[in-house]
Amino acid sequence: MLSLKNEAAAGEAPGLNLEVQGRKVYYQGPADVRSLLDSQGESVLYANVRINGSVLDRRDFENVLLKEGDSVEFLYFMGGGSCST
Amino acid sequence: MFNLTEEEIERYSRHIILPEVGGRGQQKLKEASVLVVGAGGLGSPALLYLTAAGVGRIGIIEDDVVDLTNLQRQVLHATADVGKPKAQSASETMKQINPLVEVDVYRERLNKDNILPLVEKYDVVVDGVDNFPTRYLINDACVMKKKALVEGGILRFMGLIMSIRGGETACYRCVYEEPPPPGTVPSCAEAGILGAVAGVVGTLQATEVLKILTGVGKPLFNRMLQFDAEELSFHEVQAKRNPKCPVCGENPTITELVEYDHTCEIQAPGS
Repeated sequence: MLSLKNEAAAGEAPGLNLEVQGRKVYYQGPADVRSLLDSQGESVLYANVRINGSVLDRRDFENVLLKEGDSVEFLYFMGGGSCST
Repeated sequence: MFNLTEEEIERYSRHIILPEVGGRGQQKLKEASVLVVGAGGLGSPALLYLTAAGVGRIGIIEDDVVDLTNLQRQVLHATADVGKPKAQSASETMKQINPLVEVDVYRERLNKDNILPLVEKYDVVVDGVDNFPTRYLINDACVMKKKALVEGGILRFMGLIMSIRGGETACYRCVYEEPPPPGTVPSCAEAGILGAVAGVVGTLQATEVLKILTGVGKPLFNRMLQFDAEELSFHEVQAKRNPKCPVCGENPTITELVEYDHTCEIQAPGS
């Protein structure tokens, strides 16, 4: 499910060591939550996001910047269609 | 001495030999009642294991009929059952597996008018529905009636499960306060579901019910388990009761059942 880079490649901008879904990952990319979500590609469906145990308001996905050591959890909605209209 | 017949002692011997269950636990199962909402992908494995385990009375509420596309995962139903009401097909299969179990069949759709008296008749409720409006309705009713509820959801290669003791532990709304907006979450019909994932999650739901009824182990209260079949991994999310939860928080705004629209025009409670 996760497609985050596990280690820093030479020459790339320094990234963040995060815990995503309980796994330690090295993330390189824009530090806002929306970008992390987008980096998951199509495997990430609609989800609430918790940072260090607190649910983030969806309106803050673009504004909140992840910090070194943050724990990120995706709370996926599963269990029926919300309709495709 | 426990009120189990010789046949029951033999049938359930692999339960009874477990010290944590024993004759006492099996007796509890015999005296227990469980309502399973939906006899589909999740309800099928849950109902099979609850029936085999000897839960005394099992209710099934389901208004759909068996369709050919169901058979890839809804293992209660066979090819010959296509076109038959699912509740009836489920009941027939359950009776073949364990005729000692009493089965209540409700061929109707759960709604805000029938849910509360129905939930009251059972010790534990299992959520095996395929839509968010009913999922929220079940959660709210179980909170109001202080019932144990085992939540389950599936999509594509993923699943989730969470046990709730209404009014005591974190409820579904404590984690997911409102349904997702229209157009954001596809259904299994739209996005697909690996059949065996339904088997994993429905079987875990049955496991949770059996633990809650017998008092064995530590149910998934205040925890939510996410299952990822592609990675074959589980991730446990700690769920706390949310003081601002609209149904079980300190100042609940949902004091009467609300039913979100099934026709996609999802509205906020009270609107």
